Amino acid sequence: MSNSHAHADVLVTPEWVERHLDDPNVRLIETDEDPALYFQGHIPGAVEIGWHNQLQDPVTRDYLPVPQFEDLCARSGISPETTCVFYGDKSNWWACYAFWVFKLYGHRDCRVLDGGYKFWRESGRPLTTGPSKHPRAEYKAAPIDQALIRAFRDDVFAQIDAGKPLVDVRSPREYTGELLHMEEYPQEGTLRGGHVPGARNVPWGRTVRDDGRFKSVDELKAIFEEEIGLNAGQEIIAYCRIGERSSLVWFVLTYLLGYPHVQNYDGSWLEWGNLVRAPIAKGPSPGAIV
Amino acid sequence: MTEKLAGLVEELQSADRQERIELLIDLARSLPKLPDHLEAHKDATHRVEECQSPVYLFIDVQNGRVVFHADAPVEAPTVRGFVALLVEGLEGANAADVAALPDDLVRRAGLLEILGMQRIAGLDAVVRRLKRTTALLTSAPGNTQSLTS
Repeated sequence: MSNSHAHADVLVTPEWVERHLDDPNVRLIETDEDPALYFQGHIPGAVEIGWHNQLQDPVTRDYLPVPQFEDLCARSGISPETTCVFYGDKSNWWACYAFWVFKLYGHRDCRVLDGGYKFWRESGRPLTTGPSKHPRAEYKAAPIDQALIRAFRDDVFAQIDAGKPLVDVRSPREYTGELLHMEEYPQEGTLRGGHVPGARNVPWGRTVRDDGRFKSVDELKAIFEEEIGLNAGQEIIAYCRIGERSSLVWFVLTYLLGYPHVQNYDGSWLEWGNLVRAPIAKGPSPGAIV
Repeated sequence: MTEKLAGLVEELQSADRQERIELLIDLARSLPKLPDHLEAHKDATHRVEECQSPVYLFIDVQNGRVVFHADAPVEAPTVRGFVALLVEGLEGANAADVAALPDDLVRRAGLLEILGMQRIAGLDAVVRRLKRTTALLTSAPGNTQSLTS
């Protein structure tokens, strides 16, 4: 299974994690949609990093300033050489999001625990509510050129103009525009429902099995290559609603299929759907500009 | 709102983030199991669509009292804890107590800081669903959502 993935070492198994539970060079990082889950029981030694309260800067609508990220790592006992293994709920949505954010700051050795919280727990492996104390580390970030893995709205305009591929990983009803114009949904809503013109819809959940682990490389190729015609030579942008589900697909395309040019558009539909004069398409087909 | 619920909300509100998370985990653990006859009705009709996590509400009004059962996943302790807060806090409540629930109950309980702006709307929808269904059942008993539907 996972050993046929392009960068197989980036996806680690529960057995691998068990062998490294006491390894001071390995730090487990749990990132969940629901932060209380960590406190209900986490893998021994894992630290919690909250996706909305610890990685994002609430004022700039961006990720943390570099010194704050460095402090977050230092407090969590992470040095630039640490192997960071991300896992969490929802088949690792948020874990992949945290992984992607760590990559923005240039953290070298990031991995994902296949199956995340669910597979670990359901295979009877230990969880604890005990605190994880690690000695403070030194951290100096070496941020990458963000354009390598992150797209902004202007990149999306350019992508449309160039006819390059976009992957919308939301649910089919979000893609068609049927959902999101929902009344009584004030915080989640955008002004318009639909998708970026030309984007193909692959709901993120199709990349994982019921047990939370990623699908095999052949199954993933059947979806992304045979079904929607992507290939490793393309420059691809993935998006969803706020950039978290698309982090997971970014991870799949980059590390499991080995595509070198994939960007995550973290502004995603929450930005695009509200953006003045940004073209959208409605309905089930990728569509042209409306 | 009932005194019981107001007390629980106050307790959450005055707690710091860590204590609040622990209170929610305790509440989540205390959520009673759904009766068997409702377990079979965990379907789209009873699911709160706005919630990312599957939350099921079963609401009925019997002799002026609101009878309220709910279920939410163990893997979403904040959501489950909030639902448990409503079930526990509204035990024996009447329709007027439910009608008087503040629309910003989720924020009052301090959950915005835990779940973040992006994930809090689903819980607001739980409160709205509870209020709306109770109002509907009070004006037209047996209309929808009853325990046997």
